This record gives sequence, structure tokens and C-alpha cells, in this order.
Amino acid sequence: MSSGSTSARLELDGREIVLSTGESVLEALERSRVDVPSGCRSGTCKKCLIQSEGEVPPRAQAGLRPQLASRGFFLACQARPTTGAFRILNANGPTPVNTLVERCELIGSDVLRLFLRLEGRFEYRPGQYLDVLHPSGESRSYSIASLPVEGALELHVRRIPNGLVSGWLCQLDEGARVRVRGPFGQCFHIADDPRRKLLLVGAGTGLAPLLGIAKDALHQGHEGAIDLIHGGVEPKRLYLRDELQALADRWPQLRIHYCVLKNATSREHQGTLEDAAVRLAGSLESVRAFLCGDSSIVQRLQRSLFLAGVPSAEIFADPFSPGSSSSIRVT
Amino acid sequence: MTLYERLGGESAFTAAVDEFYRRMLTDDRVAHFFDDVDMESQIAKQKAFLTYVTGGPAEYTGKDMRDAHSHLISRGLDDEHVDVVIEHLGATLTSLGASAEDVAEVAKVAESVRSDVLGR
Repeated sequence: MSSGSTSARLELDGREIVLSTGESVLEALERSRVDVPSGCRSGTCKKCLIQSEGEVPPRAQAGLRPQLASRGFFLACQARPTTGAFRILNANGPTPVNTLVERCELIGSDVLRLFLRLEGRFEYRPGQYLDVLHPSGESRSYSIASLPVEGALELHVRRIPNGLVSGWLCQLDEGARVRVRGPFGQCFHIADDPRRKLLLVGAGTGLAPLLGIAKDALHQGHEGAIDLIHGGVEPKRLYLRDELQALADRWPQLRIHYCVLKNATSREHQGTLEDAAVRLAGSLESVRAFLCGDSSIVQRLQRSLFLAGVPSAEIFADPFSPGSSSSIRVT
Repeated sequence: MTLYERLGGESAFTAAVDEFYRRMLTDDRVAHFFDDVDMESQIAKQKAFLTYVTGGPAEYTGKDMRDAHSHLISRGLDDEHVDVVIEHLGATLTSLGASAEDVAEVAKVAESVRSDVLGR
């Protein structure tokens, strides 16, 4: 039989798997003893989500968030390609990459702004996060505030008292080597509607991914209003105000708001972040919200906006778990 | 044609699940069971549940239902709460355009997992 050239093929870690007629990618991977998670096998549970570098049959992406579909993610159980070669990525998670400390600045009372120069290939979308690998083998997750065109990776590191990784990062000199692995997360801008209102809400170093998402949207030509709300316990916990102001001066569609629980001046709203978010959301049915920061705050924001009427599909949340590596949700 | 297909399939159910979950979160009889759950994964589960009870492409086993609810039984999960779920399920499907017969049919499917949910 000469079906070899017309059958679909999978490439995975240097192996090649040829699909049988009518076979799904999931079935072919399982037959080849690849450990792929699976559940309903009918496209509903989404446990068998994997990523491909080749083209993907459209039916295998039904119901996926567009930012996953646009990056080649698909459901292995729904993909029954009959032709083509598909390079399956991330079977074992991303490979660590070396970086060098280019610059570090202490900003605000306890935040280190760290710029890392990449020494290897690392493709990301602003707002995604990476793991910083400590020499001991421990790792911590930090969100990315920079755009790829800016060169260095920008991270905002909150100094945790006696924190293993944050303490280590805070005493590094310029030129020091830091290994990172990533990117992870689905909290980034999708340019599907340049006039849609974007609501970016975060507390503490949750500002880092929001800054990345705002700059990314602006650089991709977003015209609709972008309302960024940065929250903290009190005004002195808010940081990078001058830089945010300069960005808002340059891009009139960007508006910066501050929200604190106490000691508000004329420059901040006083109250909860979720009240401010619902008030500034505008038309709830058509806004897209990005929520970043400690998990308890993000959960409250998520629930408040959802109950106020924002569709769950338009709420992108990136909850931080301090002191530990965030769960890896995609790969 | 299944009820799932007649009501508009996948795209209609995305909005329906939001409505169903909002009803549950704002009903004091059951809202406290959702206090510390992750909203995104909960919505995915609710969608699979709604898909299943309307005959759409989702599979449930009794074991799934038992495992998913066992930790709630010590927090007082009881017949009364299952009734609330079936009530909101009916209201959500009615607002999507389901007939009274359809709603009764779905309630019967939901009833069939009651003993698994309650660990009996």
C-alpha cells in the first residue's frame, strides 16, 4: 500500500507517528504510549488540550478560547486529520532558557523591577508568566510586563520577608545569570475587536501583567477605551505612577485609576477594588476584563464582575499564589 | 435531534451556563457551596453537566458525580439543594426556549444522578 504519503503524521520528540484511517490524534498518541490526559473524548471536558505547530482541523478547536486556538492549541480527541504533518509541542513542558540581569531598580516600598536579557529563544505574549528557577531547584512564577520588541524581559518582584526566590533576586548584581522557563498562562490581549472596551484590574504586582497587556493592545492598534485600575492597601503601595501617567499622556484611549482601602488622597478612589471595577466596567455585556493579583482578590473581582453581568468568556484571570509556583494551566 | 441540538448547541450553551451559574451564586440556599471554588473550572463543569442532561456530547459516570460532591456532604449537601439545582436548571432551559415537556425530561435525567451526588 502506498498510503504513507497521504496519511497524516505526528511528530513528537523526534518520533513519527502515522495515523490510521479515521483515527484521532488522541487515539494515535495513546497507541504510541504517549501519556496524554483525556476525559470525555467528545470535545467537552477539554482535558486532552495539546498544541501543534502545523495546521489543525477546525473541528478540533470548537469552543476553545480564541487565544488558545490562535496559538495552535486543539483537542486531541476531536482531531482526525487525514493528511499533513503536525509537530506536537509541549509534550514535556517548555525548556529552561538562560537570561542575564540587565538592570534592577527598587521601586515603591517593596517591589523590585527586574530587566532580564534573554540568551535563548523565548516567545511570549505580554501578560503571560514565567517561572524563575532558583539554583536550589525551587521556582516562583512572575508575570511579564514587557513587550517582545522592548528587548529585555521586565518582571516586578515583590520582596517577601525571608522569601527564598525574591530575596535571592533582590541581591543579584547586573550581569548575574537567571534561568527561566515558560511562558505560561492565557491572560493576554487578543486583537479580535479594536473598539472593544478593555478593563484591566490588579492589585500589588498584578500591575506587571496589566502593564504588558495594555502596551500590547496599544501597539496592536487598539482604539477602544482601556481602563486600568491599580489597587493597593494604601497610596504608598502603588508604584510606577509616573510611567503609567506618561503612557496615558501618549495614548488618550488609556485611562489610569487608583483604588486604595485607606488613606486615599485626591488621586485615589477609596473603597474595594471590585466596587471600582464594576463602576468603571461601562457596558457590562461588551467589556473584556483582565484580572491579576493575589488569588483571593482575583476571585472576588471575578465573581463581582460576573454577577454584575460580564460574560464568563470575557473574564481573563491570572491569580497569583504567593510563595509557590503557580499551577501550570495549559501545558 | 437532541434537546441540546434543538436549543442551539455549543454556542447557545455558553450563555446558558453563565445564566445557570449566576442563578446558583445568587441563591442563598446554595451559594455558600461555591465560596472557595475556581470560577473558570466550575463553569466548565456546569457546561459539561448542562450538555449531559440535554443529551449533548458529554459523558458522566456515577463515580465522577460521587467524587465531585463527596466533600460537600460534610458541609450539609442534601436533597433540598439538589431540588434547587433542578429548579434553576428548568428556569435556565425555559429561558433558552425549552418546552415544559423538555424541562420535565431533563429533570428526570438530573434525578437519575441524585443518589450519586448525595453519596447514597
